Amino acid sequence: MIGPRFLGFLTLAAAPWGWLKGDEVDYLRDVKPILARHCVACHGVERPRGGLRLDTGVAVLRGGDAGPVVVAGDPESSELILAVRGEGSGERMPLKRPPLVESEIEVLRRWIAAGAEVPDDETPSEPGGVHWAFVAPKRPAVPEVSHSDRVVNPIDAFVEVELERGNLTPNPEAERSTLIRRLSLDLIGLPPTPAETAAFVADERPDAYERLVDRLLASPHYGERWARLWLDMARYADSHGYSIDGPRSIWPYRDWVIRALNGDMPFDAFTIDQLAGDLRPEPTLDQRIATGFHRNTPTNMEGGIDKEQFRVESVVDRVNTTATVWLGLTLGCAQCHDHKYDPLSMRDYYALFAFFNSSDEPEMAVAGPEAVAQRDQIREQIADYLESIEGDAQLRELQSAWERGLTPAERQALTEEVRKALDVPLDRRDPIANRPAFAAFVEQARLPELVEHQRRIAALRKQEPRLATTLVVRERAERRETRILLGGDFTRPGEPIEPGVPAVLPPLESSACAAGPTRMDLACWLVDRRNPLTARVLVNRLWQTFFGRGLVETDADFGTQGTPPSHPELLDWLAVELMDRQWSLKSLQRLIVGSAAYRRSSSVRADLLDRDPENRWLARQARIRLDAELIRDSALAVSGRLTRRIGGPPVFPPQPEGILNLGQNRREWVADTGPDRDRRGLYIHIWRATPHPLLTVFDAPDPARTCTRRVRSNTPLQALLLLNDEAFVECARSLAERTLAESHASDTARLDSVFARVLSRAATDRERLRLLDLLEAERCRAGEIEAWTSIARVLLNLDEFITRE
Amino acid sequence: MSRLDARRNREAELLKIRTRRHFFSDCGVGLGAMALATLMGGRSGAATAKNPMAPRAGHYAPRARHVIFLFMAGGPSQLDLFLPRPELARRHGEPLPASLLAGKRFAFMDSFAKEPPRLLASKRRFAQHGQSGAWVSECLPHLARVVDDLTFIHSMHTEPINHAPAKLFTNTGSTQFGRPSMGAWVTYGLGSESSDLPGFVVLQSGPRGPRGGSVLWGSGFLPTAYQGVPFRNGPSPIVDLATPAGISAESQRDVLRTIQDLNRTRLDVTGDPEIATRIAAYEMAYRMQTSAPELMDLTGESAATLALYGAEPGQPSFAVNCLLARRLVERGVRFIQLYHTNWDHHGGPGEDLDESLDAVCRDVDRASAALITDLKARGLLDETLVIWGGEFGRTPMGEIRERTGRNHHVQAYTMWLAGGGVKPGQSIGETDEFGFEVVADPVHVHDLQATILHLLGLDHLRLTYHVQGRDFRLTDVGGRVITKLLA
Repeated sequence: MIGPRFLGFLTLAAAPWGWLKGDEVDYLRDVKPILARHCVACHGVERPRGGLRLDTGVAVLRGGDAGPVVVAGDPESSELILAVRGEGSGERMPLKRPPLVESEIEVLRRWIAAGAEVPDDETPSEPGGVHWAFVAPKRPAVPEVSHSDRVVNPIDAFVEVELERGNLTPNPEAERSTLIRRLSLDLIGLPPTPAETAAFVADERPDAYERLVDRLLASPHYGERWARLWLDMARYADSHGYSIDGPRSIWPYRDWVIRALNGDMPFDAFTIDQLAGDLRPEPTLDQRIATGFHRNTPTNMEGGIDKEQFRVESVVDRVNTTATVWLGLTLGCAQCHDHKYDPLSMRDYYALFAFFNSSDEPEMAVAGPEAVAQRDQIREQIADYLESIEGDAQLRELQSAWERGLTPAERQALTEEVRKALDVPLDRRDPIANRPAFAAFVEQARLPELVEHQRRIAALRKQEPRLATTLVVRERAERRETRILLGGDFTRPGEPIEPGVPAVLPPLESSACAAGPTRMDLACWLVDRRNPLTARVLVNRLWQTFFGRGLVETDADFGTQGTPPSHPELLDWLAVELMDRQWSLKSLQRLIVGSAAYRRSSSVRADLLDRDPENRWLARQARIRLDAELIRDSALAVSGRLTRRIGGPPVFPPQPEGILNLGQNRREWVADTGPDRDRRGLYIHIWRATPHPLLTVFDAPDPARTCTRRVRSNTPLQALLLLNDEAFVECARSLAERTLAESHASDTARLDSVFARVLSRAATDRERLRLLDLLEAERCRAGEIEAWTSIARVLLNLDEFITRE
Repeated sequence: MSRLDARRNREAELLKIRTRRHFFSDCGVGLGAMALATLMGGRSGAATAKNPMAPRAGHYAPRARHVIFLFMAGGPSQLDLFLPRPELARRHGEPLPASLLAGKRFAFMDSFAKEPPRLLASKRRFAQHGQSGAWVSECLPHLARVVDDLTFIHSMHTEPINHAPAKLFTNTGSTQFGRPSMGAWVTYGLGSESSDLPGFVVLQSGPRGPRGGSVLWGSGFLPTAYQGVPFRNGPSPIVDLATPAGISAESQRDVLRTIQDLNRTRLDVTGDPEIATRIAAYEMAYRMQTSAPELMDLTGESAATLALYGAEPGQPSFAVNCLLARRLVERGVRFIQLYHTNWDHHGGPGEDLDESLDAVCRDVDRASAALITDLKARGLLDETLVIWGGEFGRTPMGEIRERTGRNHHVQAYTMWLAGGGVKPGQSIGETDEFGFEVVADPVHVHDLQATILHLLGLDHLRLTYHVQGRDFRLTDVGGRVITKLLA
């Protein structure tokens, strides 16, 4: 397999088994999970193959029918080691499954070499049933540590225990200027202003840090920052995808997420509104908008498709996304066959499928009933007007000529309803079916005979209230029957199945609905305290955002093939804490960023790089490249260009030419020229087929599927974009103008000012000299503004600027 | 400009490139690498592996080092180009035997209930060509002359019946979103031999872009460094390649030097190897600013070469893209994909098998043949695999539309391959008398993908990536190497 060999250069990837060099192997912590993961399915308590059980240490030492498999102190003679290497007396183990990776074998080898010690009072591991993630978390006791001075809150005690065990000295707390930059970027996605930095650095009150955290959590920009992460999971985009990739209006959903997060809506309510807001008693407008979560699936509008096929694909996507986002499970495997590794069956899959199989997918006006009534009234007037002229023989002839003269591109630009009408020749077309076509003709054809009609209709249109619309989910009156789809194929329905939850997880509460469990029951079940996964998966993702990797590195796979948590007790403690805090995200975030672990310097010490290269044990903070949108947001902010308006329809900042030519339908990208040109990145119109280069080049996910963690690449195309893109050059110019507009006694003072504005810290002598050199050289060549623009370009291109340190 | 002048200009240009490279090898890479070596304390591996495009060996010795995939978007009609079926002419207008239709799915199938599909004779004349006697219709006279260098597969079959899913399938082996494209898999497996151009380049021509857009060359769950880089027409093919308007070359160079210096300073302070990677990325970006315009500049190509392809410098076309593909191969780029639209000849206006087919054939015929001839003349065909074909073919039945056309057909269609490791002058696979179903040597899309990887020295079973709890591969759970195809 090529995989592991190449893992080195992936920022995300880590050694699959992170552990400390020079550390002792502990059976329970290190060996047992490996055996449970790879071996216990066949060598467990039930019918162990070859009479060999590997579910307890004592059993491992006892051996099987063929004798012992471990020779304490001599790994090279131990059948266990030989078997997993494929050098044993039989076939390579695990049989017909992926082999153990080298680091896992090394753990087993070292455990045996060190004497193969095991406890005698151990609970046997079972395949599946008691996989740690399927047992609800209980609050563990906060451990005692020697260096209590390094403990600010309970999080640190859990981290410190491991550091002490590995004899690792953590980095000291970061500089205050680094801390405010880190907190600002993490919590609101914008760098601090020079004034904010100066104030915090000078703030001597003992609770200065906590005050800063509170201020940022209360900022309206907090919701923007954290909404973007959620929108990755929701696969949000402003177009339908597939071939035609027409535009869609679902931004009210995006704005709902921002509002919900800003208001610290408890995560349980946040979940219920998105999965089943329409099933709340008398749902509010917001609760219906929230159901847009599952309307972010791509829609195929290509001609000649079987609609049922793509409806089923959408439902499949909804099941997979729900499982990934809330349960951290790779349930998608069970669409076509029982899961190979986790105890998830095809029945489980289609039982979940059944929850999502009875929805309609309407568009909804985002407005109160009065506005909607007013709009409908005008529309009726227009329809009446059209009806009054539709009998006109001359118009009919003109319509026929217009239809014949349409080019394929013009035809494609018409709505689907009109195209469908056009499929039947006019003389054979049903009068009702002709109405949309007739309306399109009257309003769009450029003919002198139509001018008067068009004027009248336009006058009515002017009075029509422009209501934003959004896509929502609505339960059908009649349920669709769900059947298992053999091989996942919608043309091969198998036995019928009722809505339900995976058998390995706690059962569903009895439903209030007579017809059987609904999406509401599913949503409530997901956020029930007995659900072992949702809270863990969520706190792990929060942790991942703050530290660059989760306590469980495979944040979307908490199953048996995922990596076990580095700090299992911390994970459980946080999960229980979150639920005890009524699912308040802000409260948990406050706790995490308050920890000493979070505040540490991110300097990569040589000894740490050697002993814990992946920073699994958190002796330091991580340097994290900013997400695509935040890179531009930061440039807009420091240059003073940022338009801080929150929410609204998507915007069109400048983008290089030719991007939209790559989709099937050529579209124009007309860049905004007003304040919308400088809105935050999460408002950029996302065409699925032709995304903005800022997004693709800096690893924003493809919204075709849910994404729970972005990759972070480091490529020449990123350098080109920062160096040459019109948007960044604009920012550099504005930053230069802004800098020149300030009054300063000297170049040095001016330079210090712009440096601090961009990087939130003072320049070192060396940095200052280097930049002054450039300033001089540029002045000789061009003018003052050009020289300072060059300084600004340098600063906006620095690795430090696009990194949260 | 006289030829001599042109040549002098070119030499001066090359000298300039060398000087710039020299600048970086002294001041850029040198220092960066030194800093890195000190920092890593001699730890190798991770640091050098930082360049995701570093060339590396596959699973076994490759037969081809580059791929040029000429993607004929929309689904070319094999029955009007490569596969004469006299039975269609004899039974023109008769309904297709119901037994063949049973259990099959087609696009626009709802129309079948009203009117059963009827067999449609090709209006095109066919002849056998070359030593190999391959059939090619009058639509492709140039390609007919190089048939002995090609291998036809008449027994291709695929699964999805609509364009966007079928394109996704041909490129990623799956109709699910989120899987890497073939070019991404190949560069993930092998890196690229070009240090100053992207390893996976996408070019496109024709009246519209390919349906589906970026997912067709996306990296899926692989690192985004492996996604295809779409080139635009003109001297600045890569987005943001050109120095911004109003900024002089000197200023750009000095700005860049300062960025590099300050990044190095920060590397010393933080010790984060990621900064060393960024320094290297800026160096390559700077080289690209020279290498990419140089690539796009066709003035160094002889009049004979331009005529061979039918390429007119400055006029974007499939012909220019074919010529660029050769130039990309010369520069070591691993995977080049050309999309050309539109082959979707249903029979509607602008989409018929008469003038519309003629037009698109004129677009691609000469240049496709020229690419083979030119690569061969330059000794590059042996190491370059050329693939020609679309996401599916077209039905033996006609469609009831204004003009002559055929529907999407996934049961049997034709593609051809040439070059590195392919045994030329063959026709693989057979279909029934209508060209409806494969009757011998079926080649599934996954088989084609397995074969492409094989020719590049990659085992499709071993080129995997672990994500979502399991190993994934391009060929999903299928794929067999087409041994008949191998030289």
